Amino acid sequence: MRKKTFIILGVMVALAVVATLTLAHTAQAVSVEQAIAQTPKGTEKGQLNMDSQPGFLGIPGAPKPFWFYGFLWAIWVGWIFSTVGAFGGIMAGVGHITIFGLADFGRAFKKTSPMLNKLVTDSIRVSNQWMVGLSALISSTNYYRMGRIVLPLGLFLAGGSVLGAFLIPVLTAGKIKLSAYIGYFGLCVFAIAFVLYYDTTEKGQAGKKAAKAAAKAFEESVRSKDPAATGVELSGTKITHFSLTQVKFTFFGVEFSFNPLWPVVGGFFIAALAAFLGIGGGFLYVPFLTSIAGLPMYIVAGTSAVAVLVGMIISIFSYMVIKGVPVYWPLIGAELVGIFIGSIVGPYTSKYIPDIWLKRLFVILAIYVGIRYTTKGFLGFSVVPPF
Amino acid sequence: MPAFFWMLDPFLIWFYRITGYAWVDFFLGTLVLALIAVILGEFTISLAFLAVKKHIDQNTEDTVRYQNLSVDAIAAKDKQAYSAANKLANEAFGKSFFHQIALSAAFLWPIPFALAWMQYRFLEVDFPIPFTGYSVGYIAVFLPVYVAAYYLFKRVKYRLPFFRRMKVILDSYKDQAKEMKTFADLETRPGKPADAP
Repeated sequence: MRKKTFIILGVMVALAVVATLTLAHTAQAVSVEQAIAQTPKGTEKGQLNMDSQPGFLGIPGAPKPFWFYGFLWAIWVGWIFSTVGAFGGIMAGVGHITIFGLADFGRAFKKTSPMLNKLVTDSIRVSNQWMVGLSALISSTNYYRMGRIVLPLGLFLAGGSVLGAFLIPVLTAGKIKLSAYIGYFGLCVFAIAFVLYYDTTEKGQAGKKAAKAAAKAFEESVRSKDPAATGVELSGTKITHFSLTQVKFTFFGVEFSFNPLWPVVGGFFIAALAAFLGIGGGFLYVPFLTSIAGLPMYIVAGTSAVAVLVGMIISIFSYMVIKGVPVYWPLIGAELVGIFIGSIVGPYTSKYIPDIWLKRLFVILAIYVGIRYTTKGFLGFSVVPPF
Repeated sequence: MPAFFWMLDPFLIWFYRITGYAWVDFFLGTLVLALIAVILGEFTISLAFLAVKKHIDQNTEDTVRYQNLSVDAIAAKDKQAYSAANKLANEAFGKSFFHQIALSAAFLWPIPFALAWMQYRFLEVDFPIPFTGYSVGYIAVFLPVYVAAYYLFKRVKYRLPFFRRMKVILDSYKDQAKEMKTFADLETRPGKPADAP
């Protein structure tokens, strides 16, 4: 089984590599030197002052994100990952765009050097991907070793992810203006804010309370008897109906159904979103797999990690090996240190701050970030301070 | 090159000048760099794990509890109880999953610093891919060498006292993992009753 696993994974990666190599000409990111050469030189706005100290990506006069600010911001990201969970990747993107002054710098060249504008966008997306992608590698390896990965289902989902993760970098590297990226990022943050908000409402909380009550009631009812020794023959998964729009199956005698197109389409869109915005799709896979497909946690656990990992590998490979987009490594290193410090601090503070208040805090922050980025990206100015 | 890398540069570059053969020296030096990154990463993630062990245990306990409940619900053909328990198991797993992602940064943090130094030194070095018109840079060489360094260190890791102690702690979790029921536990052969979970 292990040999088969490696063979299947190896074939998938090889296919993605070959596909990326053969179609790499469709969208070429520009190198830093080319972008600098094509940017007007001078001291006015939108021009490069060649006498200035090199900063981000080695561009003269570019802000040099001080590693310590990245470190502090990453502590916040790690703290979110270890308390609320899914929102951490978004916060990483927020940091790269806003906190380190990269957005304003890139925007200055919107009219004078669109190539430089787009180079900054691509580098931000890659920086985000590296951080989350490396982490997904560790999770997937651990889950595989624990035997929690059901490979065929993971590959089915990953198939859509590979397509989305491969197509988007190839088609969009060098073509996305920073303002558009910021606008779409803002919309994504809005969507997450609404999901988090719903979770804190009475209806959202009621669903969780009902689930807890049902689980507790069942737990108490089985304490006195052994449910497996019912004498009824149980036989795993059996597909009872298969068509393009519906798959019905019994899972140990209980009937479930889902649309088989969902895993492929869902995998595609989640991976495409992750590749386009440069943020991890992991936080979307788990609710997607459980609510759309109704899959048991046992399967979701490793499957989602595999799907995230495959999508990340492909999109990062597409950016780094073929497109040659530079990454500001010291900043990533400082941020990784900050993330793991935050992830250590988070469990200690969660003893004193209830889950629901953490979520409410993040909802407020997410709405603010969503409004600011969406308006700044699509209107050219922010309607909330700092303007 | 920032001051931090200037200080380390003479020591790191020494490993790239041992044999005098460019290809051999490059891989040897990169292997040493990768080994340093692996050892630092293993050390810090062990410390991070010890610091949040209780929280991880609680998350794991919740995940196992609700997962086992969902298995029992399926065995009892109670779809409502299964959906409820599965939802809670997924929530508990979600917290554990993202926390693990954040903690994995404790293992990975040396990699960007290693790559940063390599970028200053070897940015212009190209490695052509045979039979294609493409070439790759220092990153494409470092990553597979890093994987090799990881497995190399793994073979000797438990001879070091600190990691031997960590192994004892991690081995105790294997018993806990065995307590998680799987749906395979419910499978029966024709004519045989289901085994007790």
